[in-house]
Amino acid sequence: MQEQVIDTSDVLHDRHPPGDLAIWIFILAELSVFAVFFAAYAFTRMNNVELFNEFQQHLDRQSALLNTLTLITSSYFVVRAVAAIKENNHKLCVNWLLAAISMGFLFVVIKSAEYAHHFGEGINLSTNTFYMFYLSLTFFHFMHVIMGMVILGAVAIKAKNGGYSDIEHTGVETGASYWHMVDLVWLILFPLVYVMR
Amino acid sequence: MTYKSQSVAKLYFIAAIALFAAQILFGLILGLQYVMGDFLFPHIPFNAARMVHTNALIVWLLMAFMGAAYYLVPEESETELFSPLLAILMFWIFLVAAGLTVAGYLLVPYSTLAELTGNDLLPTMGREFLEQPTITKLGIVVVALAFLFNIGMTILKGRKTVINLVLLLGLTGLAVFFLFAFYNPTNVVLDKYFWWWVVHLWVEGVWELILGSILAFVLIKVTGVDREVIEKWLYIIIAMTLITGIIGTGHHYFWIGTPEYWQWWGSIFSAMEPIPFFMMTVFAFNMVNKRRREHPNRAATLWALGTAVMAFLGAGVWGFLHTLSPVNYYTHGSQITAAHGHMAFYGAYVMINLTIISYAMPLLRGRNAANSNKSQIWEMWSFWLMTIAMVFITLFLTGAGILQVYLQRVAENPQPFMVVQDQIALFYWLREIAGLMFFGGLVVYIASFFVGQDEPEATVAQS
Amino acid sequence: MNNKVMGVRRCTWVYLVLMFFSFITYFVGRLELSGLTISLFVLLLALIKGQLVGAYFMGLGRLRGLWRWPVFIWLFIPGTLISIAFYLSA
Repeated sequence: MQEQVIDTSDVLHDRHPPGDLAIWIFILAELSVFAVFFAAYAFTRMNNVELFNEFQQHLDRQSALLNTLTLITSSYFVVRAVAAIKENNHKLCVNWLLAAISMGFLFVVIKSAEYAHHFGEGINLSTNTFYMFYLSLTFFHFMHVIMGMVILGAVAIKAKNGGYSDIEHTGVETGASYWHMVDLVWLILFPLVYVMR
Repeated sequence: MTYKSQSVAKLYFIAAIALFAAQILFGLILGLQYVMGDFLFPHIPFNAARMVHTNALIVWLLMAFMGAAYYLVPEESETELFSPLLAILMFWIFLVAAGLTVAGYLLVPYSTLAELTGNDLLPTMGREFLEQPTITKLGIVVVALAFLFNIGMTILKGRKTVINLVLLLGLTGLAVFFLFAFYNPTNVVLDKYFWWWVVHLWVEGVWELILGSILAFVLIKVTGVDREVIEKWLYIIIAMTLITGIIGTGHHYFWIGTPEYWQWWGSIFSAMEPIPFFMMTVFAFNMVNKRRREHPNRAATLWALGTAVMAFLGAGVWGFLHTLSPVNYYTHGSQITAAHGHMAFYGAYVMINLTIISYAMPLLRGRNAANSNKSQIWEMWSFWLMTIAMVFITLFLTGAGILQVYLQRVAENPQPFMVVQDQIALFYWLREIAGLMFFGGLVVYIASFFVGQDEPEATVAQS
Repeated sequence: MNNKVMGVRRCTWVYLVLMFFSFITYFVGRLELSGLTISLFVLLLALIKGQLVGAYFMGLGRLRGLWRWPVFIWLFIPGTLISIAFYLSA
């Protein structure tokens, strides 16, 4: 392999995060909304511990695990996509991106099935405070998954048309950063809402 | 001015400033009526003066938005306006309708106005900010449709930029949400619920898109920074605006009989509404710092930066003050709301319109880039006078509001509304004085259009 | 072997750790374990996962300066608040 190439991607060298700085401002803004939501959940639970513990048992933890795995896997695929474009391998990059999007799609399917189950039982936002939080938090995140898929889709199309290269691939990193954020939020959401009691 | 048809904007801007003056005059009358209840009674009762004050504001902002669009869209699209004639025609229809409506408010009792205009055929009157007779509302729809058609066709035949597409999206949203002014259910909860779709989704939703695109346009012009950089910022600002602003409507749903989850949704999402405003502040200062040229119109740059700061303070900070439902439980409908309303409207929408007017008017009046130094100095004086006066108005109203909330709602022995009003009269007097200062600023502002006409244009070297 | 390949390999390890931690979290839920210690343990796993995603997947770990920290801070603040809330309700 190209040992003569001096690559510094592992060394502390950069002051700016990968991708467009604008997406990072956006990511920070989005993360703060979720942070407020998480804290609100935890402090509301404080006054309704029994209610929260009781209805947490009605959630489908298996689906939640599957969804965690799909998002982590999908995030990993995106890492591979970025690595591929850094090697100037368009085709591989597109394939990894498509794999990531399909994992996102799988998430949407599983989550929809969960919603269908809840709605089928007549549960809605006004059922109780726990379901209010559960539905709001997961649905807000759900919308982000969809938005992330749209962004990755746009990046994949541009990558397919040869819009990126080993030198210029800010777009891929931008989409990747957003997608990792979607994953990151779920990593906290999963234990908080489904497991911690 | 690159395109001849941009000149229709001038009419709109002049009428907007005239209505602005009317709004401020009635503001002064209202401010005095707070402390001298029978001032000008029975000729101009409080309720009529209030309608004129708020409706004149909305109408002049709309006029200035239209003027801004007529100025900005041809230049962005790099083509003449689809139909300048239609634009001029709509201007006169709009102006006459606005004039007749104000005359109606002032000359006959409101109920008589409702009868005269056939409100019982399609009842839409009697709601705050939407007091206009149904026929005026229909007129607004016609004007808005013709305007959208005109602007849309211009963009369609010309260059499509992010700025004019965001502007078009904002203006379309403005027209669509206004349609809820015609929906007037008998159920009071539903009535209020959809009433906010006009009021809130205008000022905390689609208007922010209009604000963002006008600001972006002026910043490109005065700083010479790459369009791509500015467009990127515009994207994230509008995305954040829509995410927080749409669900943020919930902060109006706390106490009107809607389900409990709105307490959470409204609190959390609207607490985030300052973020896009903050981004706008960072954006504006960043662009000005990175400027590639010195633009001779320093006044326009000042207005642009002022908009970014005051919008954040007024809409962002003062909005956040009372947006969380446990706080709002005590503060809703108090002078805190009035403080927020004044600074937010001034900081976001008055100032953005004065920004585009400041940038465009010299060009519309035949200058190459900017007014004379003298005229700009007057204009910048008016900037500081009005802005500082507005800060004082806001602070005095906030003081009044805090005291009011305490005496009337928090204290162990809450006092009745009118008793409390007497006790906060000092703040109202101070507010009125600040209001006079604002009026002084407005006089200087209008004068800035007339002074220094025969002097040469300001140049960069002089700055 | 160059550093890029190393970077990918490291991310693969991170991926496996993330998967493993997720299974642990799931089994804690499945066994219906409860209580403050368990909750904080699960939360800690989640925070570590978050930091791994931030540092390796998002690539913040190799930055100098301020941008190294946003994800860490983001995890830290809600993490602390959640811990306090669970501590107070235990």
